[in-house]
Amino acid sequence: MRNSSSNCRRGPSLPDLAVAELDDEALRARADSLGLALRVDELRSIAERLGRAPSLVELYAFDAQWSEHCSYKSSRALLGRLPTSGPDVVLGPAEDAGILHLGEHEGERYGIVIAHESHNHPSQVVPFEGAATGIGGIVRDVLCMGAEVVAVADPLRFGNVDPANEHQRAVARGVVDGIAAYGNAIGVPNIAGDCYFDRDFDDNVLVNVVALGLVKESEVIHSRVPRHGADFVLLLVGKATDASGFGGASFSSVALDAQEAQSNKGAVQVPDPFLKNVIMRASYRVFSVLRERGVEVGFKDLGAGGIMGCSAELCSAGGFGAEIDLDTVNVAVDRLLPEVIAVGETQERLLWALPEEIVDEVERIYNEEFSLPQVAQNARAVRIGRATAEQKYRLRHRGELVMDVPIDFLTGTVRDTLPAEAPVPPTMRREREILCEGTLDDLFHEILAHRDVCSRAPLYRHYDAVVRGRTVIPRGEADAGVLAPIRGSRLAFALSVGGNPRIGRIDPQRAAELAVYESARKVVAVGGEPIGLTDCLNYGSPRDPRQYGELVAGVDGLARAARGFGLAYVSGNVSLYNAAANGHAIPASPIVACVGRLADVSRCVTPPLKEVGSHLYLIGETQRALGGSVLASILGLADEAAPEIDMERVVSEHRFILAAAREGLLQSARAISNGGLLVTLAEMSFGCVAARRAPIGIELDGSVGWSSVGRNESLFGEWGGIVVEVARGDTERFEALAESLESVREIGTTTAEPLLAFEDEAWEIADLQRSWSRPLEELFP
Amino acid sequence: MKARVAVLVFPGTNSEEETRDLLIDCGADARIVHWSEAASLVYYDAFVLPGGFAYEDRIRAGAIAAHDAMLDAVIEGAQAGKYIMGICNGAQILLEAGLAPGTGDIRRPTAAFTHNAQGHFICERVLLRRTVAATRCAIAAALPENLLIPAWAAHGEGRLAAVPSHLEEIENGDFIVFRYADVTGATDAHFAPQGSALGAAALTNREGNVLAIMPHPERDAWNFNHLDRSEGNDPLAPSGGSVLFKSFVTALERR
Amino acid sequence: MKERAFAVELKIPDNEAYTAMRALQRLGVEVARVQRADILVFNREESDERLGEIIERDERLFNPNKHRLERLLDMHPRAGEVWIEMLDAPRSAPLRRLVGWRLFDHAGNPLGDADLDAACARLLCNPAIERAIR
Repeated sequence: MRNSSSNCRRGPSLPDLAVAELDDEALRARADSLGLALRVDELRSIAERLGRAPSLVELYAFDAQWSEHCSYKSSRALLGRLPTSGPDVVLGPAEDAGILHLGEHEGERYGIVIAHESHNHPSQVVPFEGAATGIGGIVRDVLCMGAEVVAVADPLRFGNVDPANEHQRAVARGVVDGIAAYGNAIGVPNIAGDCYFDRDFDDNVLVNVVALGLVKESEVIHSRVPRHGADFVLLLVGKATDASGFGGASFSSVALDAQEAQSNKGAVQVPDPFLKNVIMRASYRVFSVLRERGVEVGFKDLGAGGIMGCSAELCSAGGFGAEIDLDTVNVAVDRLLPEVIAVGETQERLLWALPEEIVDEVERIYNEEFSLPQVAQNARAVRIGRATAEQKYRLRHRGELVMDVPIDFLTGTVRDTLPAEAPVPPTMRREREILCEGTLDDLFHEILAHRDVCSRAPLYRHYDAVVRGRTVIPRGEADAGVLAPIRGSRLAFALSVGGNPRIGRIDPQRAAELAVYESARKVVAVGGEPIGLTDCLNYGSPRDPRQYGELVAGVDGLARAARGFGLAYVSGNVSLYNAAANGHAIPASPIVACVGRLADVSRCVTPPLKEVGSHLYLIGETQRALGGSVLASILGLADEAAPEIDMERVVSEHRFILAAAREGLLQSARAISNGGLLVTLAEMSFGCVAARRAPIGIELDGSVGWSSVGRNESLFGEWGGIVVEVARGDTERFEALAESLESVREIGTTTAEPLLAFEDEAWEIADLQRSWSRPLEELFP
Repeated sequence: MKARVAVLVFPGTNSEEETRDLLIDCGADARIVHWSEAASLVYYDAFVLPGGFAYEDRIRAGAIAAHDAMLDAVIEGAQAGKYIMGICNGAQILLEAGLAPGTGDIRRPTAAFTHNAQGHFICERVLLRRTVAATRCAIAAALPENLLIPAWAAHGEGRLAAVPSHLEEIENGDFIVFRYADVTGATDAHFAPQGSALGAAALTNREGNVLAIMPHPERDAWNFNHLDRSEGNDPLAPSGGSVLFKSFVTALERR
Repeated sequence: MKERAFAVELKIPDNEAYTAMRALQRLGVEVARVQRADILVFNREESDERLGEIIERDERLFNPNKHRLERLLDMHPRAGEVWIEMLDAPRSAPLRRLVGWRLFDHAGNPLGDADLDAACARLLCNPAIERAIR
């Protein structure tokens, strides 16, 4: 029976869940039949706090809000270990996106807004739409900070795409098509990303998405109702709410099996990039009106938990409650259940909190000037409720109060304390170098053609890398993409991603450290000074102590490396329950994005070799540590240790490289990553399409000390480092600048003959390019 | 007085800003005109239709936009001899509107830029060479002979197609202003990355006042877009593909 | 081998059909409702059931979240309906993809031939690249 303290009147169509009257087993069964992922103890705590039986709408609201996806209940405590502040941090990870200080132009401070998320489960179920809505969602996170969206990136992890594996191939293609279809249509260039293929992702691909925006720091809009915002109007903007995406938040918080994958198709939202394109432009117009009027407002993306999740967080972050009338919501179909309107995750929606005096003008911009209702049926801006001084979250439907809960209880921190088992990584360091059967020639070609090494062009040529006309280095032409986002300014930023699942499999902590190092190194290689990071933590089940232990180790690794580099995380995301059908977790996959600053875009460095007769230098320390390398995977070496990072040394190396870039001493540069040094050199030699320049040859010095750890370890080890080209006339200045840095060694010169020559070998560059450029063509024709 | 150029924005257009910016940097008084402001188009000397996905390419790329009220003004302008340039989606719209190659009636297309041979969107660097006499198309008239213009092909539907008799007319009537070229300047159908008929990258009309160009010269148009191909020290200076925009503005100034 | 056709139609609001209707109305075609479907024509050995499964398994063809699938008994467009096919689509392919448009007048009846002809000529079919099958 209803508790007398309740003022929640509901119609007969909405039975409450009599939590108190059911035993644990019956309660679980009832919750399961309702599709609720809430645990029994959580259900009881809700009923207890409300002092009555919760309504169905309330249950679905808590189900979404307390899901792992929304609450980070298994990871929040860990995330506190990450550094989140620093001189370049304008806004840390508290809102929909973080902000880094890019620089000043004409007296204005400009920030780079960045958000990083996963859309792993949806992309496994419906690859095209799952990936497309991943881009759609991350773009809204950046847009709602008042920023112009200027770039996206997509770190991807696919399964084994051998020709026989039709399903894995179809998923990979669908994901790439979905990212392309969405990003291209909204007109945001895709400038960075990476891609690995591994059978441990056969049942659970990883689709991470990153979006960047540009904002004047004085014009940031926060994801909260402003301090004076009592009675602010909540204005919902976008697509008409439909039944798609009901159950999304809880759905992405459970492990998938094949059966569920089918039945969960309904939980995946339907993307509409065309509508988003118009909403983005209309929102830019609204931003300029708000600036003119000097009005402070709140703006937030609708993601997990739909209208309920967004409005509750927007209001509670400002210290307010909310009251919303679900009947005012623009819907696509009649007779939608109130819980579907409240928590369904229909795409392409945002929520404003606006003072009354500006609401009509904003509505007019969306509905008339940008004619949303003509762009998609019943898309529009509508008033749905208000922020309230009273700390309650209330929803009405057909005149009935269907939800009435304390707002801090709904949005408050839920934390689970979980047992963790620390991973034990291999520590084997061989006394002697690895000797391979077969010739060096065969091995080199095999590595160049490896799916994790070869050209990604067949994949990224699906993406528009140059729309908006501000791209400096497009996707694939370097390790990081570079963009000069401000008209009339030489300020530019670089963006890269890092994370190697082969290392994640053997050493979760080192994998996280190396992901940070990789992303920072790639930014440095184009002349960008790293200014901040984002992270997406893709792991298995937090309920499994071993898998949870990997997450703990990963967070520790991220924290240690970021502190070593003096960098902070301004945004991030946690994706748990990533597992194969047989319950095996995916390899620990911390994926990091790094933003770099270029004060003067003309000092940006690109990888293609520039001229004959230059000197090549390696900046970095070789190691006898093949763990996680492509070579180890080809040779089947499972017990090798992963490389270590000497943080202090690497930081000095990066400082030196950036100084050399600023002085104009670097003709070209490239970070060493998958496949190792020889692959990096080959990629630099392939010529330059932009400059219409033919390949340039390389003669490597076989006698220098860098081969002391062993030939294969030097040539194919993945211990990091950067290769640079210095013009003949600049070597003295370059070496003087290097001063006492010991890890700078000359390793060869560039030659007119298109050969990569080393010891007795002289590879035709055209042959190397052939091996490297084609392997993915059959997958992405 | 500077030539007034309207950059048209339909719902779904996405390349309006860089197109406007480059026109300004090449000496035009260029403004973005939004679909709800179609009535103001009569005040402009020339029109540029930028890239994107107008009306989401519903029905066919460019089909709905070709019937938009903004096109009424464009068609009227084209018939009055105003200069019209459509880039990428803008080019698709001009073909659907029957303004290029303009060998049929208005809004009765005789050709189309349609699905790429590979069946999906492509984004890659291309080179273009003018393959008609300088006088054939006023918009491209100021370009030096044999100049290679850098641009980006960034489209899912950039393959010229038409029935054989119309293709013949397009070829024989010198409608193909630009073709895809290699680094030596040679043109050949197989240099078209999407399999465009006759290796065509851009079409004009009989009068030569309309240019429908599929690749984007405005995305390789400032020094910072191609640092590896240095053209002077100022990274913000127009270069590369901007030559076509300069030619467009020169043509407007000469009128 | 016998050709079999399936129609895949959106069960969520079809914005493309809505846009087509508004554009046709602007062109003076008396149309009150437009339906659009992907018409999949198979020229393969498999049974109807098997073909249905092939469609349902391929996310690029069919998503149960937003589509409904119908086996067409007739290999020809119905009254008020036109199928648009690319001219360069190989006729003998095991799967041909066409777009079906069905137009209705204000009384809810399929559009008459003259109006349908006008709709094709003015908007639905670009004869440079497409043929309209009636």
